[in-house]
Amino acid sequence: MASMGTPAVVMDNGTGLTKLGFAGNDSPSFIFPTAIATSTLGGKSTKSSASNSSSFLASKRGLEDLDFFIGDEALSAANGSNYSLSYPVKHGQIENWDHMERFWENSIFKYLRCEPEDHYFLMTEPPLNPPENRESTAEIMFESFNCAGLYIAVQAVLALAASWTSSKANRTLTGTVIDSGDGVTHVIPVAEGYVIGGAIKNIPLAGRDITLFIQSILRDRGEVDTTLQTAEKIKQQFCYVCPDIVKEFKKFDQYPEEKFAQYIVEYTDKNKTNTVDVGYERFLAPEIFFNPEIASSDYLTPLPTVVDQVIQASPIDVRKNLYKNIVLSGGSTMFTSFGKRLQRDLKGLVDERIQLSERLTGNKSSGVKVEVISHKKQRNAVWFGGSLLAQTPEFKSYCYTKQDYDEYGPSIVRNFSLFSVPS
Amino acid sequence: MPAYHSTFLSESDTSNRTVGNMVLLPFKTKFRGPSYPTEQEYDIVEEVLDLFRANSFFKNFEIKGPADRVLIYGILFVSECLSKLNKTVGLKEATRILNNISLESFALPGDIGFPLSSMYLPPANKNEAELLRGYLQQLRQELSDRLLKRIYVASDVPSKYWLAFSKRRFMNKSL
Repeated sequence: MASMGTPAVVMDNGTGLTKLGFAGNDSPSFIFPTAIATSTLGGKSTKSSASNSSSFLASKRGLEDLDFFIGDEALSAANGSNYSLSYPVKHGQIENWDHMERFWENSIFKYLRCEPEDHYFLMTEPPLNPPENRESTAEIMFESFNCAGLYIAVQAVLALAASWTSSKANRTLTGTVIDSGDGVTHVIPVAEGYVIGGAIKNIPLAGRDITLFIQSILRDRGEVDTTLQTAEKIKQQFCYVCPDIVKEFKKFDQYPEEKFAQYIVEYTDKNKTNTVDVGYERFLAPEIFFNPEIASSDYLTPLPTVVDQVIQASPIDVRKNLYKNIVLSGGSTMFTSFGKRLQRDLKGLVDERIQLSERLTGNKSSGVKVEVISHKKQRNAVWFGGSLLAQTPEFKSYCYTKQDYDEYGPSIVRNFSLFSVPS
Repeated sequence: MPAYHSTFLSESDTSNRTVGNMVLLPFKTKFRGPSYPTEQEYDIVEEVLDLFRANSFFKNFEIKGPADRVLIYGILFVSECLSKLNKTVGLKEATRILNNISLESFALPGDIGFPLSSMYLPPANKNEAELLRGYLQQLRQELSDRLLKRIYVASDVPSKYWLAFSKRRFMNKSL
């Protein structure tokens, strides 16, 4: 078979960004927005074609389907008037299958430049994805692209696998995944590779809210440049999580030289630059995870409390293991000391409950170990986990091949066997 | 972790005088008034200025005792002061403005125009009202004096990091 020696393709289509690459690599080959710009000319083009060289354009009629761009090219194409931009993935799930099929087509042929017949594919899906969506994915992958084999993995499970690179990690597929991207933050408990669907919780605060909060602070202070891009850059370069905000304010008073910073904004016009001062937003911005009240008026539950609720809603026999292996994933968990603070706050909640129960029952508890695992691959944890699993020799035995699909039909992808944990 | 509370909550029931449900905590000052002097380095005025920036972000606050009411009043007064300044005001001018604010007539709990009436009990009689007025006035003077020292650090313009907080309103209230 032609696909024997070729690496599997790993595709992670998130709400905001798509990560594309080959298994075994350290990082994705391509990261771009999950956006597609389609031509709006369509029927109108025939009308306008009468005025200019009509015979030439008339022969092109019917090719509008091929006139589209994806990723960053789509964003720039949508600046013109002839293209409309759309995001086929909403809340993690694929909403527009026609656009998604074309998005994948370009991903495979234009970006990765590979022959799908020669490669196995590892795709990702959000937790609680309906099986019908899996079938539609399989239909497109096998029937449109004729790919050699397919495995669809749950993002949270891959994020757990990515944490195995950390020295602290205990290579299991049991743990709590905190996945915070641009739009939403999910807290997902996973037991032995299975997502505990009933206990999942979402927090409507994530990267974009942090950026907007920084922007509002910059505006309060009347900085010269308060665009979203500037706020975004300040978030990425300067922000960190502090143990206590009052003490942190004091540190700013005591060591102003170390704490206050400056960000130099560069423009497309090379001669023009602006300097924006960076102050308290350095630690206040990520604080919205731990004190949502400071930025939002309707959502008030801190992240550590949500994690605690999620684990308490899970079956009792896995709770200890869920507390022991809390894994971070996604760009908004990259702030310095994020894991430390989460661990401390969560430990506080757990210890408080243990003390209460010890007082009420008089029994001595053996204690609960709370451990939050940070690692270097957090930003693209889902993709990296996929790359890790898809490079194992057993990977192909978990996949369904084109032959399996032809024999059983799309319903075959409703169930995939789980990865066994390599020891 | 919700908003920060006063660390003087435990002391309020011991030796200090109370008016309504507010406690007259001692603080160090050179202004004249009914406040008792204190030996402690860290007094309520210092605490108000320390917690002001953090608490300004919070809209909900659960009052845990009489000392918290002094804290709330202080924080709201600081934000009132900052709203009267802007980034062109020099130290001399600012001193005059803040001095005026702290001395002008202000509403006491129970008066019309006092923004926190639901949380503060009015003074029981005329003597108590006089005592409270004197105490609050002294607190206001001391607060604005120490606030100026914090916001005019190196130059003759107020720190823009402090001024930015005038746009935020603790508990969504203002004096």
